[in-house]
Amino acid sequence: MALLEEPIKEARRLKNFIGGEWVESKGEIKDVVNPATCQTIAKVPVSTKDEIDAAVEAAKEAFPDWRATPPVARARCLFRLKELLEEHFEELSRIQTQEHGKTIDESRGETRRGIENVEVACGIPTLMMGYNAEDIASGIDEYVIRQPLGVFGIIGPFNFPFMIPLWSAPYAVATGNCVIIKPSSEVPLSQARLAELVDEAGFPPGVWNVVHGGRTVVNGMLDHPDIQGIAFVGSTPTARDVIYKRCGETGKRVIAQGGAANFIVIMPDANVRATIPALMTSFFGNTGQRCLSGQTLIVVGEDDGFYNNFMDAVVDTTSRIIIGNGLDESVQMGPLRDKEKREKIIGYIESGIQEGAKLRLDGRANIKIRGDYPDTCFLGPTILENVTPDMRIVREEIFGPTMGVMRVKNLDEAIEICNENPYHNADAIFTSDGKSAREFQYSVISGNVGINIGIVAPMAFFPFSGMAGSFYGILHTQGQEAVRFFTESKVVIQRWL
Amino acid sequence: MKLHTASETISFAKKLESESAKFYQDLSQRYPEDMDVFLSFVKENGKNVLQIERAYYGVITDAIEGCFAFDMNPDEYMFKIGLAEKASYSEALDKAVEIEEKMVRFYSDAAEQSKSLMADIPRNFVIVAKKRNNRIPKLKSLLGKEAR
Repeated sequence: MALLEEPIKEARRLKNFIGGEWVESKGEIKDVVNPATCQTIAKVPVSTKDEIDAAVEAAKEAFPDWRATPPVARARCLFRLKELLEEHFEELSRIQTQEHGKTIDESRGETRRGIENVEVACGIPTLMMGYNAEDIASGIDEYVIRQPLGVFGIIGPFNFPFMIPLWSAPYAVATGNCVIIKPSSEVPLSQARLAELVDEAGFPPGVWNVVHGGRTVVNGMLDHPDIQGIAFVGSTPTARDVIYKRCGETGKRVIAQGGAANFIVIMPDANVRATIPALMTSFFGNTGQRCLSGQTLIVVGEDDGFYNNFMDAVVDTTSRIIIGNGLDESVQMGPLRDKEKREKIIGYIESGIQEGAKLRLDGRANIKIRGDYPDTCFLGPTILENVTPDMRIVREEIFGPTMGVMRVKNLDEAIEICNENPYHNADAIFTSDGKSAREFQYSVISGNVGINIGIVAPMAFFPFSGMAGSFYGILHTQGQEAVRFFTESKVVIQRWL
Repeated sequence: MKLHTASETISFAKKLESESAKFYQDLSQRYPEDMDVFLSFVKENGKNVLQIERAYYGVITDAIEGCFAFDMNPDEYMFKIGLAEKASYSEALDKAVEIEEKMVRFYSDAAEQSKSLMADIPRNFVIVAKKRNNRIPKLKSLLGKEAR
């Protein structure tokens, strides 16, 4: 099948967007590489401390006017942005495929999810309303108003370059704050394009800023006294040991979403036909590079016949997954983001084998790539059976197209395994039995629970949850929780004498 | 090559709609006495494309099985739109009925297979299948009129 047209045709040097201006960085320049073709598609700066300071200054300067702008007028900027995002939907989606490698269906799904957050934030005149109580004492009334805090930093990961900053940014600016977004330097293009559309939508200068880079920018945000809070998505060590810890030390609000090692539990009464495509999406969608991906499949029950038939079907479907350039609409799985990630995942597969897992499908060998592309970042789907809860491939986040499979006697045992894992981001059960589903939902320690759903991705009007090991903070991104995160409650008690 | 992903299935649906629109455009010129019917089909084909695209772009998300929902053989639904220069009106109408039957089968199968996608996609496939199915008695009535 012919490739869809690439929107990025030449490797331009990206600039920072500070105070409504596109500013050249003085930092060193890194290549942004399309993992499917290994071609350089952009040059991204590693911005300096002075540059993040300048962005904070611009945001701080913009804040008083922006917070005084009526919420309904702020919402109109978001409505205009929403229209522009719809207009450029396909372009934005293809940029994501070029910079990340994911399939075009996955990119379009990511674009839609991002836009949905803008849509929800458009309701800010209602969402940020306070509440009141008359006559808390005779002639005295009390009420709560929600006020913005100032400047927030938003640090995005590589796996959802467009969507994840939009879990936070629309709510931050809708509530009257100003933001500085640091996209992942591996995938900075869709945020750069988004900022152009933000500018076109008429946001005042300094309300929405983008600073490219790495640790210097992150440290600049964490150390800056004028940054009120950070919304971060990335690995657990960084979320816990850097972002959460340093925000605590500097008195900042924090949303720090970390990694995951999720379980999918298959009950013997699961609808096999409907379950298989859901498992394919869960384990191999986005090439396994998402914190909602299934990592370990737990098959419940001692019926060997069920297990063998089920696994035969899973292996057969998995072995037919079409791998290639995500701009080919027939492709079901793209490459990994880069060669280093591929090598890391291969290391996990090898550790699983060394620890006693049985290799049922080997994604390392004979990878069939549709089209003529270098195999540098491609890895086929891998299935390992006889996996046990103590193995590294169960306890650590792999972030790749692998499926570990274990068998347990009953649901209680499955839930115990889920709950003893260090991560608690998203777990799911596939069953036709309401009692089992209810028991799982009730007992599993997991921020996002799926019942016959393989990817438990909350809609924009629900929080993107996550629990211990996978999340550090109190309030989450998206919806009402994001509105609360980006506002302070001010209580007023009044009496007229 | 089979269709597996939502995007290639939507693209295939658009291709079928476009091809059948070309066919009806041709019929409207060859048989001007029933031009209104054929041009209404052409117009409806355009609306079908919009309807399917809106459903897809409106609900496609990473939570659904966008890359794994389908297993369809496109050869089963393809049709040729070329008519012989001297084709009779009844031959042309027979061809039209054949195209509609294939379209109905395509949309019905697509609806069945996309049940794991968000409900809007299969629901819209069903609606378009019904619209295409409604054309068959209309075409047959033209065939009857021609026979008289």
